[in-house]
Amino acid sequence: MSVGLVAVLFVAAALVAVGAFVASWKRDLSAALAGLPLMFGGAGVAFAGAARFSAAGDPKIFGQGVAALLAVAVLALVALGVGIAGRGTSR
Amino acid sequence: MDSLHAIGFYVSAAVSLGGGLLVAFLPTRALRGLAVAISGLGIVGLYASLSADFAGLVALVCYAGCTLLLAAPQYRVMDAPVGMLWRQAGAIAAAGLFAVLAYAAFRGGFAHATFKGGEIGSAAIGSFLFAHDALAAEAVGALVLVALVGATASWRVRERGR
Repeated sequence: MSVGLVAVLFVAAALVAVGAFVASWKRDLSAALAGLPLMFGGAGVAFAGAARFSAAGDPKIFGQGVAALLAVAVLALVALGVGIAGRGTSR
Repeated sequence: MDSLHAIGFYVSAAVSLGGGLLVAFLPTRALRGLAVAISGLGIVGLYASLSADFAGLVALVCYAGCTLLLAAPQYRVMDAPVGMLWRQAGAIAAAGLFAVLAYAAFRGGFAHATFKGGEIGSAAIGSFLFAHDALAAEAVGALVLVALVGATASWRVRERGR
């Protein structure tokens, strides 16, 4: 059993697609924000996989750095979205 | 990649994708937050199996924050004025996006390189983020600042209006 770049990109594409599905399927816009971490996670996995399997030369940390930046960015975007939604009733 | 890492990769992929699908179909915020946490754990496992341990640690903290934000009971429900037909069209578009990306991944010609890493390498990543790629790190820092200030201002304005 082995893993290659194509398998990593397949999983990353599936994560991005599931995130897009969540964002489009949820009727509540605040709940649709939950698709953002999945999409950004998929992008981060693609960067990390490209750095792991296909990056030429040193350093091979470019993908890891971008993945970390994407994780911080998605936290900021979810916080902004929840802040814009504001307080209200629970569902 | 050895068999242990490969098994970890496939298990983490199944966990992250399963959690993502649960996010779409679970009805309550608490359950959706739990599903986001499960999916985030899967993504962290993917990073770990790809030897991106530092990114995994950062993602663990950030996805925990996302879980707490999305599972919180205080935020307001904002129903979109979109009918079922458009939501189904969005779902089909998401499937089309997956098909296009998977085809691009399958047909792409990628160069293969030998990986000699394995450690967290926090010093090299810090040098990369703050010296080599400082502009991107500063852009994300500015985004975090704007997001937090915007979120705080939005909450305060709404609370004052009550």
